[in-house]
Amino acid sequence: MLAPISWLKDYVDINVSPETLAQKLVAIGFEVEQIIYQSKRVDGVKVGRIEHVEKHPNADRLRVTKINIGDRVLQVVTNVPVEGGETIAVAVDGARLADGHEIRRGELRGVLSEGMLCGLEEVGLTANDADGQKAGDILRFTPSTPLGTDALEALGYDDVILDVAVTANRPDCNSIYKLAKEVAVALGVRAREPHIAPEVEALSASKKGVVKVDVRNFELCPRYMAAGVKNVRICPSDELVKRRLRAVGIRPINSIVDITNYVLTEIGQPMHAFDRRDIQGDEIVVRNARDGEHIVTLDGKEHVLKEDMLVICDEARPLALAGIMGGLNSGVKQDTDAIIFEAAKFARDNVRRTSRALNQRSDSSARFEKGIDFASQELGLKRALTLVLEGGYGEMLGGVIDVHTEYQKERELPFEIRKLEDILGCEVPKNALVGILERLGIKVEEADGCLIAHVGEDREDIASVNDIAEEFIRVYGYEHIRPTLFEYASLTEGGVPKEIKAVDRIKDALVACGLREAVTYSFTSPAFADKLALSEDDERRNAVRLLNPIGEALSVMRTNLTHSMLETLSYNATHFVSHAELFEVARVYLPKSLPLTELPVEKEKIAIGMYGEYDFFKLKGVVENLLDAMNVADAEFVRSKEPFLHPGRGADLYIGGKKAGYLGEVHPDVAKAYGVDNFRVYVAELFADALTDPETRKTASFAPFTRFPVVERDLAVVVDEDVLANDILKAAAKADAENLSGYRVFDTYRSEQIGKGKKSVALRFYFANLDRTLTDGEVNAAMDKILASLESGVGAKIR
Amino acid sequence: MKEKLEQIKIAALREIESAVSTAQLNDIRVKYLGKSGEISLIMRDMANVPKEDRPAMGKLVNELRAAVEGALTEKTERLAFAEKQARLKEETLDITLPSGERGLGSLHPLTLVRRELIDIFSVMGFKVAEGPEIESDLYNFQLLNIPKDHPSRDMQDTFYVNENFVLRTQTSAMQARIMTTTQPPIRVVIPGKVYRSDDDASHSPIFNQFEGLAVDKHITMGDLQGCLTTFAKKIFSADTEVRLRPSYFPFTEPSVEVDVTCSMCHGEGCRVCKGTGWVEILGAGIVNPAVLDMCGIDSKTYSGFAFGFGIDRIAMIKYGIPNIKLLYENDMRFLAQFN
Repeated sequence: MLAPISWLKDYVDINVSPETLAQKLVAIGFEVEQIIYQSKRVDGVKVGRIEHVEKHPNADRLRVTKINIGDRVLQVVTNVPVEGGETIAVAVDGARLADGHEIRRGELRGVLSEGMLCGLEEVGLTANDADGQKAGDILRFTPSTPLGTDALEALGYDDVILDVAVTANRPDCNSIYKLAKEVAVALGVRAREPHIAPEVEALSASKKGVVKVDVRNFELCPRYMAAGVKNVRICPSDELVKRRLRAVGIRPINSIVDITNYVLTEIGQPMHAFDRRDIQGDEIVVRNARDGEHIVTLDGKEHVLKEDMLVICDEARPLALAGIMGGLNSGVKQDTDAIIFEAAKFARDNVRRTSRALNQRSDSSARFEKGIDFASQELGLKRALTLVLEGGYGEMLGGVIDVHTEYQKERELPFEIRKLEDILGCEVPKNALVGILERLGIKVEEADGCLIAHVGEDREDIASVNDIAEEFIRVYGYEHIRPTLFEYASLTEGGVPKEIKAVDRIKDALVACGLREAVTYSFTSPAFADKLALSEDDERRNAVRLLNPIGEALSVMRTNLTHSMLETLSYNATHFVSHAELFEVARVYLPKSLPLTELPVEKEKIAIGMYGEYDFFKLKGVVENLLDAMNVADAEFVRSKEPFLHPGRGADLYIGGKKAGYLGEVHPDVAKAYGVDNFRVYVAELFADALTDPETRKTASFAPFTRFPVVERDLAVVVDEDVLANDILKAAAKADAENLSGYRVFDTYRSEQIGKGKKSVALRFYFANLDRTLTDGEVNAAMDKILASLESGVGAKIR
Repeated sequence: MKEKLEQIKIAALREIESAVSTAQLNDIRVKYLGKSGEISLIMRDMANVPKEDRPAMGKLVNELRAAVEGALTEKTERLAFAEKQARLKEETLDITLPSGERGLGSLHPLTLVRRELIDIFSVMGFKVAEGPEIESDLYNFQLLNIPKDHPSRDMQDTFYVNENFVLRTQTSAMQARIMTTTQPPIRVVIPGKVYRSDDDASHSPIFNQFEGLAVDKHITMGDLQGCLTTFAKKIFSADTEVRLRPSYFPFTEPSVEVDVTCSMCHGEGCRVCKGTGWVEILGAGIVNPAVLDMCGIDSKTYSGFAFGFGIDRIAMIKYGIPNIKLLYENDMRFLAQFN
């Protein structure tokens, strides 16, 4: 809400600086986002009089002028054909123009110039913003304008405007009048009421005037007021009106249209003016549109209406989209002679829905969407009529029409001071309370030890004792509240549930592995599925889609983290980062059905991504460390078929027989699709809950260990190339050799001697007994058993 | 014989004296004291010594043996010490060289701040909860006193999935879930991602909120202020002050904006606080009794406060991060700065 201070002053005396006023408004709940000094749009552009003009000695098209700016005379070289005696605008040395340009004194073709003559553009205005000034020309003023005045001030741009953020509970304060009332409360002074001409004040309303009004849907139009004006004079408005409208960003049009906008700004009541000639018959009908009915609005746009939209009609056709915009068929024209003003209350939600459905917005619809109270129609209409009569723009035609539902002018709200104190946690002195509420226009009376607040129709937001508490404290001051820490509340136990603790542990383990945590967006491009080469029936293609995404690139909720991880790796690789090692723990969104009819499953996943001096086993090492950190037992790596992994370098991780995720080198085609072709890229993605499932986690418990020497035996066997280390180890385990306490693969070797399609695998076995030192014979017997099992299990031959 | 012993002694002691390594000393030991060393041979020759001279000679030989052994041991210790010293000196490293073993990763600044916040509020008796990010309109709006088509919906630019589901615009959605399923006393904080269709230089369409809710008998605005003051002092610094300003949120009444003294200039006025000395960090208020009632908690018996703020904003203030977008870009050079 833009509020020119000069306009506020119509309603309240303001004797403090704009900065102080802003602070006081903030303190009672009206945030001032900006204080706009109109004249400060430029700096150092002054009104001056041309005293003398002569030709430039070295340039035919330049003139050398002497300009009096009050306290001194400047020499300015210009190409503008000015004459002595003219009053113009000049930017002096050091001036800043609207476009930020600075003016400095200097020589022009050998002659000193101490400034520059300015036009509308230089001070940031257009011909619409200043009467009598021409675009492309310099600014010219009447001879009586004081020399040295700021040019913008001389053009009437001398106001200070507060840009106030009005909260949604106070729609009434989107008006100069109501905001002035709050200013009065903030300053501790009385506000004035809007000026209504006595002959207007004397008017009484009826259901019929120049026309009859028939409201057929009171739910969508609880009140419809109208009044006729004849002998209308369509002409430019006076300076003050134009200046004020411009100050709040409204372009002046003509006397009548300007009055509707003026009242909208001042009283907060949207108004519309119909040309009486265009209303066929003697009746205005407020009704729902018919399905498929057409209207062309004032801005020339054609709309096809639906039944739930409200229109203002004559006997034949719609004349206006209720609360949004008038029709082109019935607007005020240059030769309009009689008009009908409309000041109505339309249902907030319906205006909002219709405006959105038709994508048609206006100052009026914006105002209705915030909510209009019952008091504004009469005040707005009377104020408009006053402006018409006192401005000499027309005469009354047929009195004021008022059609409305029953409504409550005032509500009674009983409350106890003790309850206020309970809410606020501070003492509430009765005198202060009553005084503050009265200043806010809420009368308080006492009955049966209880207070009763009388709340007017303009304060629909006050519905409970909590609202009374807020009204009181925002004026009384929050500094009166004493900080306490649950003085009278129960003791509660804080803390973190085990799922969150587990995620913390996962993150800490990955940090210990040298990874840095990333946080990426939860929505992504639907192109992810093709980039990852997912098959057509891959479930990960079923992503929740947003109705109104920022763009296609952020339009679906992700079903995997790998895509975001690859994008992040790609970002770093293309930003000159030589290596990256990252992880992310975040949710994926898995719909149970599409379109969504119930909440999707949101599952926490872990993504790991690396490029640089890495290979598959570095990545596997990270995953194994993570499994160890989480005490996961029963994990197995199986060759993966994920389409985005290198076919020979990808593994699926199974925990407790269930797939928990995958890891591997990214397929070169996929890496390239993500824009990385100079690095090998490694990625893993795991379900967090697979690592925290109590079923597959081992808990620490003591196991005895031998105090006797451990015997180590190495064995190299030759097997077929496609036999996996895991297969060999499983075969070794099958031997069930006695005293075997551990075994591992420690080397793999290929050579011509061994033969094509074969490899030699070196194994180390450890033997131990809790009670004694083992003999060679015992160990040999065990090794024989193992070798036999390797021969039969994986066709191993001893080397 | 006696002379011979004397000669051996002189020769042995001279050799020991001139030895420069423990290896040499070992050779000397073998030469004199070894199985077929000179002294051992003399012991063997003792058989040829007249019986009556044997005790005296034996004594002499033993003395010789002791003298040589003593000299050897003493010299060995000396040399071993010198050799160890030399080796230690030689092994001196430039301990300012890098280890090449440094490889700890790091947590995201949002996680660091989130953990710190959870610690602060856990101690004050708040449990931590999380909620769904794709949320129904009911919990995200309606139960929070924001009916459909209400103008207060304009306060937040909402991403819709369809008419009934949205990306939660506020962690407050979880408030409603908790209040509809739990009876007071409730004291819970809810950290999590929220979504607003707002994407420009200073906004991210995704950011993280931290929500707090306390519902009990006798919860007051004073408790809210005390709780937030404790939080602000712990997360910023002990001299941080808190200021409440009236504001509006549909689900709290009274509602306040909370400012803290600028942690950069400690209230003196700087660029971060735009010269005011105060930084706006959160919205809060007393839970609107209508919200309590809608969620099935009797507003006549219970009251509550709620607050919510952006974890991102706290992280930006705390670490001096100039732009929210940096938090989601995941540039390694950014991430490496936090630990």
